[in-house]
Amino acid sequence: MQLTELVQKIAEEFEDTPKEQITAITKLKDLEEWSSMHALIIIALIDNHYDIILTGEEMIDAQTPTDIYNIILQKQANK
Amino acid sequence: MYNPFSLQGKTVLVTGASSGIGQQIAISVTKMGAKVVITARNKERLLATYEQLVAEGHQWVLADLAKEEEIKNLVNAVPKLDGVVHSAGIIQPFPIKFLKKKNFEPIQSINYNAILLLTAALLSNKKINRQASFVFLSSIASQYPYKGAATYASTKAAIEAFAKVLAVEHSSKGIRSNCLSPGMVKTAMYEQTEQAVGAKKMSAYIEQYPLGVGTPEDIANATIFLLSDASKWINGITIRLDGGLLAGMH
Repeated sequence: MQLTELVQKIAEEFEDTPKEQITAITKLKDLEEWSSMHALIIIALIDNHYDIILTGEEMIDAQTPTDIYNIILQKQANK
Repeated sequence: MYNPFSLQGKTVLVTGASSGIGQQIAISVTKMGAKVVITARNKERLLATYEQLVAEGHQWVLADLAKEEEIKNLVNAVPKLDGVVHSAGIIQPFPIKFLKKKNFEPIQSINYNAILLLTAALLSNKKINRQASFVFLSSIASQYPYKGAATYASTKAAIEAFAKVLAVEHSSKGIRSNCLSPGMVKTAMYEQTEQAVGAKKMSAYIEQYPLGVGTPEDIANATIFLLSDASKWINGITIRLDGGLLAGMH
């Protein structure tokens, strides 16, 4: 798994936000488009693509795609 | 003493009895005089429930209701029943556009398929006495769902319909079938939901309940009513237990 790939997948889920506006260090919850649905979507996206289940608390703590990436790496290592 | 809610002389099967609402139902119905057969997947936790049952003559059977073979073993192990409480259920939020068989099949298998298969097997093996009462645990999510509840809410809605069909098919023998539809109840599933949505969101949600969050005892008491002869004229309904959440605008 690459960070750039994850950023791209996350960016695709924001339909009204220009792709270039979402980078590895974008604070996702600061995006105007952010809603509670996006937390669910990102959890599902990661479950489907990486077979890793993020908890809601982890999603709340994670600010940026890099944070999410690090949680995935950590969980993969602990598998 | 006059007590139309007594379960003396009745034998009741409780699924999902190792935790949460199912565990409390098992304990409460024994307090009302029933003999119970409790079942769940986890031996350690099921035995912990068994230890808390009141009086003697109860039975525990390990079964994973996702497996047809284990449903068969359970049905063979149970005596004739006057009540069946289906509390086994699982929850996993998932947005619709990401749904795949691997996400929803495990939930369907426990929340829906297991109920149909177990009910069918109990009836065809003549394990259900006349005047018996079936109680199925639905959820307010079946009528008032939340984001991500596609599988959970739709399996619960399906069970409410199933319970009515059962009521229609077997009422000639005095057999009844009803649902309980709880809102948020303080159980392990509550903790799990809190983990999934975050503590802040959860407490904001709970604040909407005029009578606060429910307890397993609240659900167990309604179950006692539906299992007892006090409800012998009630068939094919769903009782909502939500602390007044859906009564109107608050």
